[in-house]
This record gives sequence, C-alpha cells and structure tokens, in this order.
Amino acid sequence: MSILVDRQTRVLVQGITGRVGRIQTRFMLDYGTNVVGGVSPGKGGEIVEGVPVFNTVDEAVAQRGAEASVFFIPPPAVKEAAIQTIKAGIKLIVVVTEHIPVHDVMGIREYAQDTNTWLIGPTSPGVITPGEAKIGILPGNMFKPGRIGIISRSGTLSYEISVNLATANLGQSTVVGIGADPVVLTNIPELLELFEKDPETDLVVIVGEVGGSQEQHAAEFIDRWMTKPVVAYIAGHNAPEGKRMGHAGAIIEDGSGTRESKAAALHQVGVKVARYPAEVVKLVEESLRSR
Amino acid sequence: MVYFSLMRLYEFEAVELFRREGIIAPSYAIASSPAEAKEKAREVGLPAILKAQVLTGGRYLAGGVQTADSLEEVEEITRRILGTTIGGMAVPCVMVVHKIAAERQFYLGITLNAYQGIPVAILSTEGGVSVNTVVREHPEWMASRNIPITSGLSLYEAKQMAHEIGLSGRDVVNIAEELAKLYRVFRRNDAVVAEINPLVRTPEGEYLALDAKVEIDDSSLYRHPELNVDMTKHFFNPLEQKGREIGVTYVELDGDIALIASGAGLGLASIDIIGQKLRPANFLETGGGINEDLLYKVMGLVLQKKGIRAIFINVYGGINPIHEGAKGIVRYMQEHNVTIPVVAKALGNRQEETWEILRRQGVVVVTDVSTEKAVDVLASMLEGEK
Repeated sequence: MSILVDRQTRVLVQGITGRVGRIQTRFMLDYGTNVVGGVSPGKGGEIVEGVPVFNTVDEAVAQRGAEASVFFIPPPAVKEAAIQTIKAGIKLIVVVTEHIPVHDVMGIREYAQDTNTWLIGPTSPGVITPGEAKIGILPGNMFKPGRIGIISRSGTLSYEISVNLATANLGQSTVVGIGADPVVLTNIPELLELFEKDPETDLVVIVGEVGGSQEQHAAEFIDRWMTKPVVAYIAGHNAPEGKRMGHAGAIIEDGSGTRESKAAALHQVGVKVARYPAEVVKLVEESLRSR
Repeated sequence: MVYFSLMRLYEFEAVELFRREGIIAPSYAIASSPAEAKEKAREVGLPAILKAQVLTGGRYLAGGVQTADSLEEVEEITRRILGTTIGGMAVPCVMVVHKIAAERQFYLGITLNAYQGIPVAILSTEGGVSVNTVVREHPEWMASRNIPITSGLSLYEAKQMAHEIGLSGRDVVNIAEELAKLYRVFRRNDAVVAEINPLVRTPEGEYLALDAKVEIDDSSLYRHPELNVDMTKHFFNPLEQKGREIGVTYVELDGDIALIASGAGLGLASIDIIGQKLRPANFLETGGGINEDLLYKVMGLVLQKKGIRAIFINVYGGINPIHEGAKGIVRYMQEHNVTIPVVAKALGNRQEETWEILRRQGVVVVTDVSTEKAVDVLASMLEGEK
C-alpha cells in the first residue's frame, strides 16, 4: 500500500444514517473503498447502500473486522466516539466533522497519545490512495494513481493541486488532508515520516497556508530526516493580518504565521516553494528530473 | 460550513468570568457617554481610570486607557476615547474604575500550544504593556508549562512556577492560587486565551486583576448558554456579519474583484493569484455544503460592496454536486440584472451540466484546471474593457 489506506482496508462509516454519511458512503463504494459496515446508535440491523449498520463500533469490529473509520457525526458526539473507537482497536480514524470544540480535540489528542491509532482531522476532507480507496469526501475524479505524496491543510486546495499534477501526468501515491483547525490530531511531520518510509512515494508536496506553525515544524523534520525531495505551496501571501481566513487556524497574528516566514523556513532546508499553485507542477517536474 | 472563529469577549464580560472563579477585580462601571462617565466616576471615586472597551489589543498605545484626576477630565477623556477607533473598531463604551496603587505587577496567562495540542500556562514577574519584549530579553523572568487537559494545573505545579521566576513569601502561594483560578476560567469556559495583564499586589497586600482578556472557542458556544453571548456584538464589519448569518466567511479587502471560493485554502490561493494582476475586493469561502440557496445569497453578499468590476467564482463540488450552486448564481443574475463580467471555474460531480447552466446566462466558464488560467481570462476581459 501507499500510506494509511489501500483497497483492502476494511472501512467503517460512523454516522452512516445521516444525510452526508449516506451520500458519502455511496461515493466511497463507487470509488472502490472496502466499506464493511456503519455505526449509528439505535439503528443496528438497518442496511444503508448495501452496508450493514451496527449500534456500536465494538460490534462492527467483532463482526466485520473493521480497521479504519470515518466520522460523519455531530461535533458534540465526536470526543466520546473517538475514545470508544480507539478502545475498539481501530487503527485509522478520519474525522470529517467540523466545529468540534478545541478542548475536545485536545482531549482526544491526549487520549490517543499512547495508542497506535492514527487520527486525521478534524475538519479533514479525508485520505485517498488514488485508484485504490478513499476515506472521506474528496472527489475521486481529481486524483490519479502515481508516486507523489501530498499533505494538505486545505481540502479544496489539495484537489486543485492534485488535478493540476494529474493533468501533467503526475499521479499521487496518497493524499492526506490533515484539517484546518488550530489543533489537529496528526501534524505534518508525522505524515512526512510515513511518506519517507513508503517505497511507493518518490516526492512529497506540502500544501500549507498562513497561520500556526505546522510548516516551520515540517522544515525542522525535513532538515533532520527527509531524503526524498519536498515541494511546497503556502497559500495566503495576500492575507491581511488579524483576520481569520475561513479556517480557524488560518490567521496571521503579531506578525507571525505569515506565508513569507513559512516559505523561508522551508526554503532554507532545501524545499522548493511555489509562489502560485500551478507552479507546483513545474517544481515537482524539476525535482524529479534532478534526482 | 467553515466559519469557525474565536470570539473575544469585552473586558467587562471577561471580568465577570474571573469573578465566578474567585479572581478579584476592582469594582467598575460602564459608561457610553461623557455625562454617564462623570456620573459613574463620582461613584467609583477619583482618580479614575477610563478604559476603552474594544475587541482588540493595543488599546494602551492607541490612547484607549487614561487616568482622570477630576470629573471634568473624566468627561473630556471619555469624549475623546469614544470618538476614536482602535484597530479599526469603534469604541462603544468605557470602563470606569478607581485607580489602584500597585506595589508589584505580574503577568498570568493560559493559552494553547496549538502545534502540540495542549494548554500552556505562563507566569511572569513583568506585567504590563511590554511583557512580550521583556520576556524575550529576560527569559528567566518567565515560567511556562504544558498542562495535560485531563489532569489540569495543580497548585503544586503553579507554586513551582512561582519559585522559578524568583517569587518568595506570600507572593508564591497567592500568585499560584490566582494562576490555578485562571486555568479554571480557561477550562470551564472553553477558552483559547485567558490572560491577566497585569495582576497587581496592592500596598494592603491584596491581589487584584487590573485587566481581563478572554477569547472563547465559538465551536463550544452550544454548551455555554450561561455565557449568554450576543454574537452580533462581536463582529464589527457589517458584511462580515452578514456572511456569518448566511454561513460563509467573508473578509473585506480593498480591491474591486469579488471572489466566491469553496474552501478556505482555495480562497486564499485565489486572492494570491488575483492579486498578481488585479485587486480582490474580498475573501469569501462557502465551505463544502454548496447549494442553490447559498450561492444565491452569496452573490448578493459580494455585490453589496460598492464599485465591484467583476465576479470571480472558483468552486469544487464537495458534499453536493456542483450544478445546484450554478442554479443559484444564474437565478441571482437574472433577478438582479447583473451585467458586470462573471468568470467561473467549477469542477466536481456533474461539472459539464454546471458549465452549460452558467454559459446560458453569459458567465464565462473556464474549463482549464488551474486557477491561474482562469484569472488570466478574467484579466484579459477587463483589459479589453478599458
């Protein structure tokens, strides 16, 4: 497999009986994802899009061998569900849900620390290994199988960059949307490490944006550990200071978190940083050629 | 929909949260006119401090905090403060407090270490306006700790922090207790920032909070009915407020090209690219749940700003197929007779159908996958206009 998910991964949909859960289950199945079950308390025994629904995650794991799970559940329910899901032994949880209180996210993070479950999100568009499987809401037709790993703080911008790369015949091994909240459950460096070890990935693209310090930490990691080339695009060089630009984490405060400071940190450790999204294609081509 | 933000409270609102946890602040009054301030200053006693109530920092440097020694001065200073803007925001009222003599100042703060996803407590011997610079030059005057969210900040640890910055005697216990209370303010109210700058020790040995700053995570407001927050008071730009009401993020910029984007990152990239050749009028991001009604409203929103030359639409279908949004755009254009250029790049489920709907209304549809190309098309259209 590439990283995190492949066509064999046995996926569970939590919140499968809701409007979004239902539609997205259909889209995931159409893409080829191995959706083995859904969870919706009190609705065990129903069938949604041909998928059996269970009352609890424990039942779904026992009866269907679920290994990964995606959350389409309301924000107040996420913290408890995440802890239950980790306890049930699920190895990958993708949290699509938006507007989870940040104290709850910190609580989940603390609980997950000493476990070996990967949690992606919240506010994640999902994870896709093109041509194999997708977990989340990413539109499948924007991606193409290949050898480039992508880590993105933004959903739609990861589609833009993937579809531009795909059009230039540069497919992706896996694309991960880490989510755009101020606190996320998995940071960029942890995913860089997975891509560095993945034999099916030749190069990694980081899609960042203003606010926070993810990109600076990525630069430190790249400097110490990465042997594969990395290309980056950081959105927001025209973003005004002190305004939250749609994502809770996307804000320039006290002059920090600017596009320039992030680009400089990455540039310094040998990362090619694009000024505009389509330039990523050119920089990826250059990096692959000079390898 | 992604319109999450963090909500800063007014100082007087934050003071009330402090009091619930037992942090003592001097008694205050709120006045929204010079005459009222004079009246209130008589009650709290002279000399009085007049403090602008605004939802932004930097009010000291902007002259928003001043001392008045006479009632005449109270009126005069209040008139001046209420007439200014601080950080672009009007000042709705002032806080009137009796001036407190301070023997010593401290800084206490709880905030997020966002990258590590953990609260962090900060304590410093240097309270006041320039706390950031002082701490940069003298790190030994500051102590900080990551606080595991399930166990919280223990008094023991708070005392250790007090020792680290060189406190002794009664200060150790008292400051540690105040820090523990502040952590409770942070935790119980789902805050992302809770700060006292400064906390002072008076000659009588009292410990008083002379300022109060709290920012609440507004994703948590559903579980804080007791905060009784009127959200509309906390957003000052009318268009930004309107965006919030319809469930999108709108940020006003100073150009004349209206932008509608799905997703914050794509919106940021769009203003980067537009800014190369043209000037964006706004940042607007719809979130993933695009439908007919939403895009109809969003068209109206971006056109409320005066002098818009063109509209640039950059959307991906997410939760819903993209043609539904196209219907909303077209319906708005028909009903309001929109004649300025509209350029759209729309990709996702049912994109061909979407393009057809838009083209029939005269929207210029760019089918290239790059936003740069789409902006090029817009720029050359406007070029020809001149």
